[in-house]
Amino acid sequence: MGAISQKSLVVLIARLVLAGVFVMAALPKIQDPGAFATSVAAFRVIGPGLSGWVALLLPWLELIIGLGILIPAIRRTSCALIGLLLLLFIALHTSAWVRGLDINCGCFGAETGEVSTDYRWLLLRNGLLLAATVLVLRQDRRNNHSALRS
Amino acid sequence: MPRFLREFCIIAILTSIGAAFSLFSDLAPLPWAEPGLEPGEIRLVDARALEVLWLDARSEADYEAAHIPKAILLNEDNWDDGIVELMPEWLTNPRPIVVYCGSESCGTSKRIAERLREALPDAEIYSLKGGWDAWVQ
Repeated sequence: MGAISQKSLVVLIARLVLAGVFVMAALPKIQDPGAFATSVAAFRVIGPGLSGWVALLLPWLELIIGLGILIPAIRRTSCALIGLLLLLFIALHTSAWVRGLDINCGCFGAETGEVSTDYRWLLLRNGLLLAATVLVLRQDRRNNHSALRS
Repeated sequence: MPRFLREFCIIAILTSIGAAFSLFSDLAPLPWAEPGLEPGEIRLVDARALEVLWLDARSEADYEAAHIPKAILLNEDNWDDGIVELMPEWLTNPRPIVVYCGSESCGTSKRIAERLREALPDAEIYSLKGGWDAWVQ
């Protein structure tokens, strides 16, 4: 019983951390989508036309799934989308690192000071967040199976 | 409707409502509109039309690899040497100064331009929109 409670607590903390990170990442970008569009374009993966659309839609998606991971009605899909976005971010950062791009990641909007991106820290952070996402997804899956059996 | 699809539709609808709110409340520029200039920026086409003094704010290695013709290297690491090279050039022929760094979002050019405005309050100083990327394109 004690072990189960402890595990549930860890999953709850992981869920809250993911929600907090995604909401905190979304809000500055919603307030300044122009600066975020510049950051997106700097990755040189998509053209400037498409970066405007990404800068418009992605912050709202981050906000909705960040809150959604706490809302039972949409939490499983929110968690799955968080995982997919984290995989996408890891791929983008790795690609930018390999190509030697000296850019701001734009992860939390246009960061003040405009320092260059530390790719090792970014990959470590997103890797840890991805591990937390997997933990939450597995727990949700288990809960779903238990609910179906009972 | 499968549960996943239903949840996905809810998330997509909420995201669309949020994006529509950003557009209609003028928080976000229209995605298809030409991106505007920030204060102190200049487009390459305008800089080329003027006789300007180019300052390269990238690293020395990048500068050595390639730079705009006659550009002077001036970044935070070689500020003193760069200023010593810049001053006689600008004083003998005062003209607008344009600072560039690697790309649209590198930010170094804006920092250097800001610092130069304090050092040379009479000079007309810009940072190049798009940076070196805009030049090579």
